[in-house]
Amino acid sequence: MSENLKFVPHATCTFCGCVCDDMDLTVDMDEKRITKAENACVLGKAWFREHGIEQRPYALIGGREATTAEGVEEAAQILARARFPLIYGLSDTTCEAQRVAVAIADMIGGTVDTTTSVCHGPSGIAFETVGESTASLGEIKNRADMVVFWGGNPAEAHPRLFSRYAVTPKGMYIPNGRKDRTVVLVDVRRTMSTPVADIFLRVKPRSDFEVLWALRALVKGRRVDPSIERRTGVSLAVLEDLVARMKSCRYGAFLFGMGLTMTRGRHFNSGALLALTTDLNEFTHWVAKPVRGHGNVTGADNVVSWQTGFPFGVNFSRGYPRFNPGEFTTVDLLARGETDAILILASDPAANFPKAAIEHLKRIPVISLDPKTTLTSQLARVAFTTATYGINVGGTVYRMDDVAITLRPAFESPYPSDEEILSAIRDRVRALLGGNRVPAVAPAVAAAS
Amino acid sequence: MGSSLRIVNGRVYDPANGVDGEVRDVCIRDGKIAADAPPDAKRIDAAGMVVMPGGVDIHCHIAGPKVNLARKVQPEDHRYDVHPRTRVTRSGTGGSVPSTFATGYRYAGLGYTTAMEAAVTPLGARHALEELHDTPVIDKGFYVLVGNNVLLYRLLQEGRLEEFRNALAWWIKVTKAYAPKLVNPGGDELWKGQRNANITSLDDKIGPFELTPRKVIAGFIEAATALGLPHPVHIHCNNLGHTGNVATTLETMRLAEGRRTHFAHVQFNSYGPAAGKSQTNPTSGAREIAEFVNTHPNISADVGAVMFGRSTIMTGDAPLAYMLRQFGGTKWVNADTENESGCGIVPFTYQDRVYTNAMQWAVGLELFLLSQDPWRMVFSTDHPNGGSFVTYPRLIRLLMDREFRKARMAEVNQKALDRSGLRDLSREYSLNEIAIVTRAGPARLLGLTRKGQLGVGADADVTIYEEDPDKEKMFSAPRYVIKDGELIIEDHEFRVDHEGRLLHVAPDFDPGIEQVIEPFFEDFYTIRFANYAVDDRYAPHHEIIPTAPQAAGARP
Amino acid sequence: MSLAFTLRTPPTVPLEAEVLTPARLAGLSAPEAAKLSVVHGNERADLGEFFQVQGTADGGGAGEFRLTGDLSRVKHVGAGMADGRIVIHGSVGMHLGAEMTGGEIIVEGDAADWVGPEMTGGRIVIKGNAGHMVGAASRGSAVGVRGGEIVVFGNTGNEAGHGMRRGLVAIGGDAGDFAGVSMLAGTIVVLGSLGWRAGAGMRRGSIVTMHPVELLPTFSYACTYAPLYLRLLLARLRRLGLPVADAQVSGRYQRWSGDAVELNKGEVLILEA
Repeated sequence: MSENLKFVPHATCTFCGCVCDDMDLTVDMDEKRITKAENACVLGKAWFREHGIEQRPYALIGGREATTAEGVEEAAQILARARFPLIYGLSDTTCEAQRVAVAIADMIGGTVDTTTSVCHGPSGIAFETVGESTASLGEIKNRADMVVFWGGNPAEAHPRLFSRYAVTPKGMYIPNGRKDRTVVLVDVRRTMSTPVADIFLRVKPRSDFEVLWALRALVKGRRVDPSIERRTGVSLAVLEDLVARMKSCRYGAFLFGMGLTMTRGRHFNSGALLALTTDLNEFTHWVAKPVRGHGNVTGADNVVSWQTGFPFGVNFSRGYPRFNPGEFTTVDLLARGETDAILILASDPAANFPKAAIEHLKRIPVISLDPKTTLTSQLARVAFTTATYGINVGGTVYRMDDVAITLRPAFESPYPSDEEILSAIRDRVRALLGGNRVPAVAPAVAAAS
Repeated sequence: MGSSLRIVNGRVYDPANGVDGEVRDVCIRDGKIAADAPPDAKRIDAAGMVVMPGGVDIHCHIAGPKVNLARKVQPEDHRYDVHPRTRVTRSGTGGSVPSTFATGYRYAGLGYTTAMEAAVTPLGARHALEELHDTPVIDKGFYVLVGNNVLLYRLLQEGRLEEFRNALAWWIKVTKAYAPKLVNPGGDELWKGQRNANITSLDDKIGPFELTPRKVIAGFIEAATALGLPHPVHIHCNNLGHTGNVATTLETMRLAEGRRTHFAHVQFNSYGPAAGKSQTNPTSGAREIAEFVNTHPNISADVGAVMFGRSTIMTGDAPLAYMLRQFGGTKWVNADTENESGCGIVPFTYQDRVYTNAMQWAVGLELFLLSQDPWRMVFSTDHPNGGSFVTYPRLIRLLMDREFRKARMAEVNQKALDRSGLRDLSREYSLNEIAIVTRAGPARLLGLTRKGQLGVGADADVTIYEEDPDKEKMFSAPRYVIKDGELIIEDHEFRVDHEGRLLHVAPDFDPGIEQVIEPFFEDFYTIRFANYAVDDRYAPHHEIIPTAPQAAGARP
Repeated sequence: MSLAFTLRTPPTVPLEAEVLTPARLAGLSAPEAAKLSVVHGNERADLGEFFQVQGTADGGGAGEFRLTGDLSRVKHVGAGMADGRIVIHGSVGMHLGAEMTGGEIIVEGDAADWVGPEMTGGRIVIKGNAGHMVGAASRGSAVGVRGGEIVVFGNTGNEAGHGMRRGLVAIGGDAGDFAGVSMLAGTIVVLGSLGWRAGAGMRRGSIVTMHPVELLPTFSYACTYAPLYLRLLLARLRRLGLPVADAQVSGRYQRWSGDAVELNKGEVLILEA
């Protein structure tokens, strides 16, 4: 370790949706490495430790080393030519970069979609159906005397959800922290998170909807068939007890994960939980919050929403935004072979998409922006190396509760930021197209769906 | 900015400078109104047209966390009102909560060049500024929600008034806000902390605090007055939307005791007691409110008129939104912000056959028609709460065209109309009065001396309408819109894109106040104190409007 | 003869062809029809770049036309149509007959997602399978089919009849999950089996199935009977060509009420074995 150390207080960890902004970093400026991340959880420590500067080409075009400018030219040519181009990812970069990404999709008449479509997209659809009673994490810390975790394993995926926001911290009306809260965990299996709970409901796989529906009925004083126990593994008596506690707490909070949203029932599972939250507000105060994974996936939802009116899966080919999950979401577009070029921003779909989708990725020109070599960058026609947000690049990220935070980068990277590369691509595409591409067909009302 | 323009032959309405429909030239140089323009300046022949300053919206909801939730929750409201891109402008979607780009272009498309987002939590300021940055053409600012702030309550409760004032100034400055906003003071603590209860009178105890709304409101009026803000405290009163709330509204207005205070969307606070057999159907309280405002020059208000059709209730007044949920259909959004605010959202449709909705419509019109000082009772629909800003042209016609109003009155719930005073009012607004309530008045109430007027040195924000007996048509689509001297809309079409400025204030405070605020953050916020203040990158184009002490100090 | 379109050049990316309605084609010759605008990805194109057009549109009002080929990437066919008839020999893409108010569409093949979303009248007949969201409400909207009929001979995906308020959705094969979710009224008949969670959140309306099914715990058994209206309805479906058995027409049905989470005024009718 060198003597050339820099201290960066109040930095923000962008590893997960908790976006903790109390990282006090120590940086070895000679080695370009973060040597210490005070307050970070085990995941955060690894995130900061692993993001040094790798020696990679600025860009690769067809596997051949190239300058960033050459990469920009090639990428712009691809996007300007494409008939159904797609811009995907966005969740691990700054809002500033996300804004440019949406601008490019708008300009070329493409589609923009984020990783939300493969994580909490169902919660987004549920939100559009029933709304949501929600809160910033500080309200949960200050007020929640009952917390229900549903379909997630925060101990391993979001450790500080327990320690900083929702279980152990003392708050304004929770003077004794953990002791003042009733903690419930609902999951299909025991996990590292289970021990934190006062009450653990083990539900049979794929029966969350039935459990939630039964809870809704009980909250409303309606009859529930006793077969519920056989079907879900949870007895009517346990559910009745839970409902009594829910109605009598002062401030309750649901925190739900992909165990709920990505199992059979999907948006109806999320919708059932959000509707239950609404029902409970007849009796006392309840809020619900999807627990988000990627560091700025919430920023992506917000940016795409304010620019287009819709949170993800937005198509601009008719000259204006249209939203339809299943039609304009990435896995579906790729699996049906409908897209003819794709820009992938800070995501690695080649590592985790279904086979049919990956097969189509191999058939079309792919442009990738990533700080690291990934399966996606390896099959890309143009692969840019970028600086890492939060570590080398400043900007804005949104915590899972929609709170925007400004990043404090620790040290500089020789590589450009996503925003810089995207801005250059946007400017070049604009020059190639002579402004925004305007389709010469009137909007069709019936086609607006 | 460098271009020059000369607008000739137009009838000019510039009430701030006493110009009432005279045909005269308006010259523009370097983004400002000038006494003259060079001979080679581009000429706009405005014969048969009306020239006004750009519109100024004193109260709307267009950006920030709650607006974005309201956008996201209504895909079905966007899909029939798309906003296609052009070669030079971005695409978007409309409906009652348009996307940011559509918001900016549509405001400009009505001849509006300034708009104030009326309710942003301090914690949501950064988000609001990001959205405002993506709201093109218009200049914009926001009011920061402080009326349910826990730390400010503590200081007020303990009688630490100087620290209260300094903390208020700190909050306004670090969020880059334009004015302090109170929404249903005291209501959030009851809503969040006492099983969704609400404040019902100015003398209710606010949960665990030794405070009442009366004490809170008086405290804020006093502090804001001392700070000399260009726009005073902007109040959304308690009991908003409730039958019989006119009493609470008048009591709140009396708390101002001669000091400048602005009352937001008073239509929603001007309901008399229940009529007839009904327990809930309100009568009109418009006459009492209008009379109070007429006779108290320290009081100003925007109307918050209701226009029939689709709207979105979005408010810091969470209990109100919850109450309206039963009429709104299937969706309800609630969003609590730590230590600062509540928030409620409900998609809503005002129907002309429904008693209460017809009464709300009538009360809004009554307030306009009974107002004797258009400079202090200005134009708004509390967009999108009372109706979208795109309904402004129709509202203007309702005010200017008695026959049109009568025809519309025949179509609404007649029982409601019987119990309003609208049938007795035959007044018609003049173009000059419209120019006051939509431009000169709001600008003056905001303390924006270079807006809402066409005097030399004013911002060259100018709208040119083709005269038409149908005022709705006339105000729907200006022929030209000029922003900062740039011809943005020519012959009804966007020629260029444009980025407006953020308007904000930066009141001075004793820096020692940070030692009071910081420990509170450590204990009760989930964001570090050091990461809370919004830096200048979020306001790349901005203008700081000085407070009275700052303006006085700046003078030689 | 009527206009006939044969897909000659399959589109490489989605083709949006809401011009393919009887009203838009009325009175056009083949060359005129070939000039109509479609959207191929993000650019305008002529219909004729993809289709060979023959014949002449029927005179007078809206008539009939025929589409042939694999149209699975052709979207919005018949969207908003009010009258006339479209016959499709082959499979067809999303949003077939979206928001149609009248007329008839016959598909001799499969249909993709979103058949007849938010339609108010007319009839769509799919001889093969259909995707998800048959007759469903668009995202965020509470109301799906407001009238008219959708008849699918094969299977459907999830959310058939989501939010429907009036009309009929008849499925000859199996339905996916959440059939009739949040139904307000109307009728869904499934001759095959129902997927999971049928009728979740339904307020009113009827869902009929011929196979045993375990409903949500918020549904309760009411009675067993042989409803007359069902007999008439099934007889009509048989005339439309669906394989309705005599035992189904004359059978007795268990009536389950639900959804108790909502008004509890809906019913699921299950044929007694």
